[in-house]
Order: sequence, then structure tokens, then C-alpha cells
Amino acid sequence: MNRVKETLRGLVQPLLAVLIGLLAGAIAILVVGGNIVDTYAEMWKGAFGNFYFFTNTLARATPIILAGLGVALAFRAGFFNMGAEGQMILGGLSAALTALYLPGPGWFVCIAAILAGIIAGGVWSLFAGWLDARFGMNLLITTLLLNYIATYFGGYMVSYPFKDKTGSAAMAQTPMIDQTVWLPKLFQGMGLHAGFIIAIAAAILIYWFTHKTVTGYEIRMLGSNPSFAAYGGVRRIRMMMLSMVISGGLAGLAGAGEVLGTQYRFLDGSLSSASYAWSGIMATLLARSHPLGTAVAAILLAALQTGAMGMERNTDVPLEVGSVIQAVLTLFVSAQIGYSFLKRRKEKKSNATTV
Amino acid sequence: MLLEMEHITKKYGSFTANKDIHFNLREGEIHALVGENGAGKTTLMRMLYGMEQPTSGTIKVRGREVSFATPSQAMASGIGMVHQHFMLFPSFTVAENIVIGREPAAAGVFDRKKAAAQVNELGRQYGMPVDPWKKVGECPLGLQQRVEILKVLHQGADIIILDEPSAVLTPLEVKELLANMKSLAKLGKTFVIITHKLQEVMDVADRITVLRDGQVTGILEAKDTTVEELSRLMVGRELVRMDKPASVPGEAVLQVEAVQLSGAKDRSALKDIHMKVRKGEVVGIAGISGNGQSELIQVIAGLRKPDGGRVLLSGQDTTNWPVRRIREHGLAHIPEDRYMWGAAKDASVKENGLMGHHHRLQKRGMIKAKAAKVMVESWIKQFSIKTGSAETKAQFLSGGNLQKLIAAREFAQDTPFLIAAEPTRGVDIGAMETIHAELLRKRNEGAGILLISSELSEILQLSDRIIVMYEGEIAGELPAAEATEEQISLLMAGGKERV
Repeated sequence: MNRVKETLRGLVQPLLAVLIGLLAGAIAILVVGGNIVDTYAEMWKGAFGNFYFFTNTLARATPIILAGLGVALAFRAGFFNMGAEGQMILGGLSAALTALYLPGPGWFVCIAAILAGIIAGGVWSLFAGWLDARFGMNLLITTLLLNYIATYFGGYMVSYPFKDKTGSAAMAQTPMIDQTVWLPKLFQGMGLHAGFIIAIAAAILIYWFTHKTVTGYEIRMLGSNPSFAAYGGVRRIRMMMLSMVISGGLAGLAGAGEVLGTQYRFLDGSLSSASYAWSGIMATLLARSHPLGTAVAAILLAALQTGAMGMERNTDVPLEVGSVIQAVLTLFVSAQIGYSFLKRRKEKKSNATTV
Repeated sequence: MLLEMEHITKKYGSFTANKDIHFNLREGEIHALVGENGAGKTTLMRMLYGMEQPTSGTIKVRGREVSFATPSQAMASGIGMVHQHFMLFPSFTVAENIVIGREPAAAGVFDRKKAAAQVNELGRQYGMPVDPWKKVGECPLGLQQRVEILKVLHQGADIIILDEPSAVLTPLEVKELLANMKSLAKLGKTFVIITHKLQEVMDVADRITVLRDGQVTGILEAKDTTVEELSRLMVGRELVRMDKPASVPGEAVLQVEAVQLSGAKDRSALKDIHMKVRKGEVVGIAGISGNGQSELIQVIAGLRKPDGGRVLLSGQDTTNWPVRRIREHGLAHIPEDRYMWGAAKDASVKENGLMGHHHRLQKRGMIKAKAAKVMVESWIKQFSIKTGSAETKAQFLSGGNLQKLIAAREFAQDTPFLIAAEPTRGVDIGAMETIHAELLRKRNEGAGILLISSELSEILQLSDRIIVMYEGEIAGELPAAEATEEQISLLMAGGKERV
């Protein structure tokens, strides 16, 4: 009973943020001279209007869910992993190269490619954790900056050593992966692939992990009060490394899923231009790092994006209105995070003076 | 009558914090408001100070009915309040803190010299001198409190409410505070002192109002009552007298040898500490907080590594062991700061209770949720912890109830050695009784207990041996049976001679 109440209370703030986001969008629509009701109706149709659009939204949500889960887990442990994008790119690249060059039956290569993606993302994230543990470098900064290294490394790999030379277009991309290795589509003729099932399973698994296991308990206590965790015998460095590996692994999995399920090759810029990773971070913030909530928020954000595309197709209102809504959402969510961060710092200070 | 509060009732939803309370003040008296945690003392005073509004009832100042919507309205009627947690700006000077809100100005610019002169005059007038130019952050807590009182006086208060004023003070500072209150009362100021320390009440108060469960259970003249009668009125029953059988110490369970720790600014936090806790005894560490006690606890518990020396627990050198291994080897720890070390506020009561037990209550990496719930619920019952349920977040527990939860958790570790740092800080008499009884029971069963407390009475009551710390060193050690409060106070203040 209590838990239901608490969950509901937890929902109030994100819903309020969404509402204010939609209000801001309404103003933007008015400014460009559109009809609010019609525009939002088109947006709804674009996201959920028919089965095709709906599955399209879910397909877009897939990498957002996975990247978001990774960020959520690190948040739960009290660490800022802002490196989901780089981890995703390295995951996608590794998956593509494994899928292209590993011999064997299709299903085997597919699984190996997914694992390669998870490992690449995990190792990249672990590297940031190691920099913190070894040199005390701030995770927020290292994870953020490691994104650039990963992005340009990926770009280089597909511009030179592994560039697709078969096609006529001189695109920075790998050759296409063999069809037997692809992640299966869930419905004939739709974009939605098995990666979505993996993402939902991951959300449930992460929920189970954080809430039911001993390690998950330690991770949550560490995030909630590091001193309390240390006092109780939780080893911070070990837990940080673990949560960073899992976090990066999930982002890597997101990249692998996109490569094996949607693009069938690694194309430079394709993972970052859609800003899946950043949407994932937003989903986490909206859901306050709750794994199942993150999945729901990710679908919501994906719907906002696919909806905006539908809106642009059928009205004179430009796609950017969707970005306005998302920006306002971000603003509110980050204000809330910033506020609780400040509050926590203040508490720490006042604690320090009373000791 | 200077002040009358009549038929005051305050409800928060379905919860009644104050029920039909009558409270009055005579001019120039010191009036103690006593009661256990949650008895409604602070609520009543917050209404008098305009921070809350009564659901019903009237307040009269000098016979005139008033109602305060904000503290500034209460101040205008001559009511001032000093809160338990000081509301001062540490980076500003004493004078700036005192004149805040009514700063003297010259041509619209804050006149610091005039402010300092005012503060000097104020201090002289009331016999509480302060250095107006000193930064508040550099003043000891006793001086900070004096600044708070001067601030209230500067605002022109005739009625001064002090919420738990002695909670953070050293015994000497408490004496000084009580003396100051008495002399101010002679000058016509009226005090309300909220406290649960009954000895202080007997020392300073003229009249006493006792609250229990939001109702008045007694209004007494201090000279006609006793500590026993007051505690009976507070708790609603006779307190059991604790009998403490003589200690039969066994072999050493904790040995601290030549421990050194460097602190901030080239000062050492711990200098060559040697000490020992044997099985079946309580060793009390007295000292003004900030003299190395916290660091010593952290070194013993494995939270900080010493720069020199070693710690032996049950005969094994645990100096460089990780915390978990030390705990599993036989250490439990009631930490001195429950919010910083003892709990995670946004985790549930159950999750907070699980800490340290979580490796035991597992099956193949999964937490045995049911067993954990049963365990925590048994503590809730045994220590009568007031909480919605085991799923309530710890932040919704009052400080005293959270302390009970932490104490229960550490008692349940069932270890041969226990660190009890400020084990009863902020808990009510009933709970204090339970925690003290548990500590003694553990001792009688043969465990060694290291008790750190800023309450001298607690140290004297429970300890078999007393160690006094001063500036990171052991200033003296004495058997509890022979120790007097004066001796310990002297050592605490840096009186060097060994006793």
C-alpha cells in the first residue's frame, strides 16, 4: 500500500515536467502559427497512430532504454556516467567488426557480436572508473571527454582501415553485415527488432539486480550515502568499477543492437546524430534512475521524437517543436537534479559543522 | 502574567501534537519545558514564536490577545528564540551576526564600527562579553550560543526561548550558560528552556511545565519537586533503577597501540594513543567533541588508516583490514553522527536495518527479504521505534527513533566488541533506558564496550573505566568508581596533571 503511494508520488514530478513541456510546445506552435489541437493530434498519430508508427516508436526507444538503464545504474551507485555515447559507439563498432569478420553460423556470430559490443562499452566505461580510482579524476569529466575519443576513433576506423569500398557512395561506413547475422525483426515489414525484447528484459533484470540482490543493495546504499556504505563495509572502489562496467556494457549493448538490428553496418555519426545516449540520460533523470521507469520514460521520449516527425509530415509546424518540448523537459529535470544536488551538498556541510 | 497560552491545540492532519495546553510565564522567571521526544515541546514554542499557527486556542502577552503569523511579529512583541541548530553565518563577524536585520547605518551604508560598539555595549550591559570582530566560524560552540542570545537581546526580546541549549555544550560552557541565564533573569528577562536534561532543570529553573503526548502532565515549582517526580511525569511510569553489577574484566578484546594520525593543517589528530578494552567492561571516553574521539573511532572501525601504530581486535592485528572483514571479525559500531555514518535517509527502515547483516541474510546472492523484514520488525517492537512500517523511508523517522533503529541494528550484530558513540544523543528517556540496559546486558555477557559520549552523566553511569581525551592525546585515565565530574571536567579542559 505504502509502496504504491510512494510510486505514485514519484510519478507526479515527471508528469508535471511533461505537462509543462507540452505547454511550452503549445506556445511554440502558436508562435509559428499552427493549430495546437491539430498539431498535437498529428504528433500523437505520428507516435502511436497505427501499428507501423507504434512499432517505429518502440524501435527508436530500444537504444534509449538500454543507454538509459546504464546511466540509471551508475546514478544509483552515485556516479555520473556521461559517457554513454562513446560507449555506445565503441559497442556498435565492435559488434559490426565481429559480425563482419568472425566465421561461424549466423546465430553464433550474432551472439558473439552482441557480447563484443557489451565488452567494448564496459571496458571503455571501466577505463573512466580506473582513472577515478587511480588518479582521482572526476568521473563526470572523464566520461564526457572519453566520448570524443570514442567518436573520432570510430570515425577513423570506418574512414580508413574498415571502410566499405564496395559501394559507389564514398560514405564512412563498414561493409554491410551478412543477413544471417541480423537481429530478427519482430513483425514482417516493421522496423522493430529483437533488440527491443532484450531491452525490456534488461530493464527487468536491472530492477531485479538493484532491488533483490546483495550487490544491488550495496550499490544503492553507496549511491544513497557513501559514508554509510563505507561504515557498513561496502567497498567503494569495487562497487564503482562494477557499476561502471555494467553501465558501459548496457550502452555498448545499445550500440550493438542498433548495428545488428537496424543499420546492419557501422555508419559514422549514425549513433550520435540521433542522440540516443543523451535521450537515455534524460529518460533516467525523468524516472529518477528507476529501471522500469527509465524504460517507460525512454518510450515516451522516443514517441516525442517520432511524433514530431509525423507532425512535420502532415502540418506546417516544423520538427523543432519536438525539440522545444524536449528542451523544456530537460530544463525542468535538470533543475530538479541541480536542486537536490545543492541540497545534498548543503546537508553535508551542515553535518560537517555539527560533528 | 507576562504570557498566557490557553487551550492551545495543534493538529497535523489526524495527528494531534498539542492538546488543550495551558502554559504561562511570570516576568523574570526561568521556566523549563520538559518532556520526551515528540511530547510537543518544540511545537508549542514554534507557535509562540510565530513559526506555526495553533489550530485553536489563544495567546496573550501582558493580558492582550495576540496572534503571530510570522516570527517577526513575535519578535515585535518581545519574543525571541534560539534554535537548537544555530542560525548564524559562520563567515561573518560576531557583530554582523548580532545586528542582522537592524543594522546601524551611516548615510545608507552599513556602519561596522557602530555595530561593534553596539555589540560591546550589549555584552557589557548583560555581562556576556564577546569580541565583535571575530568570525563566528572561529568561535567555539559556547560562544556561538552567546552570540545567538545577544542577537535575540539586540532584537529587544523580553521572552527568550532556548531550544535544547546545552545539547552541544561542554560541561563548563553549560555552567556558564546557566549562570548567564540567572543573571539575565535578575535583569528582568524571562526564559523558556526546552530540555530533557533534568539535572539542569533543577539547577536553573524556577518553574517547570511537563508535557507528555501533547498534554500537560504537571506544572511545578522547582523547589517543591525532584528529578524522580519529573521523570515520572514525563514518562508516565516509574523508571527502573539500573543496578550495575561489578565488572569482571577478562582478557583484552581491543588493544590500541601507539596510534598516530595526522589531521588538518599539520596538526596531529591522534598522538601516540595507547588503550585497551577488556571483555566484560565498559570503557568510557570523555572529552569535548573535536579532541580526537571521532578519529579514534574511525581508526578502530577501519574507516581511516592510521599513520602509525596498530589496532588489535580479539588478538589479531586489524589495522589494515577492510571494514567488512573487521566487522565480521567481531566489531559493531553505533556511530556518533547518525545521519552522516549511520543511515541512508532515502532508503527504507528495513534497508537501513539490513546494513552489516546483509551478507548473513542472503541465499546465493539474493537478499532474504522476508527474514530481513522479520528481523527489523522485531527491533521496531523491542525498542518501540515509531515508524509507519518497515518500508517507511528513514528520513521520515525522528532523530531519536532513527537512533533506536541504529542501536538495535548494532546490538543485533552480537559481536564481542562494540563501539557506542553518543548512543543516546537525542533519544527520549524511555529509549535511553532501553539502550543503557542493552549496553550493560552486553557487558555482563562478556562483551567489551567502548563508550564515547559528550554526556558526562552517561559516561559516569555506565563506565567501569574512564579515559579523557584532550587535543588528540589521552589526558588521563581513572576508574569510574573514584571519578568525579569535577576531575573529568578539568581534564577535558586541558588540565594536564595526571590523576
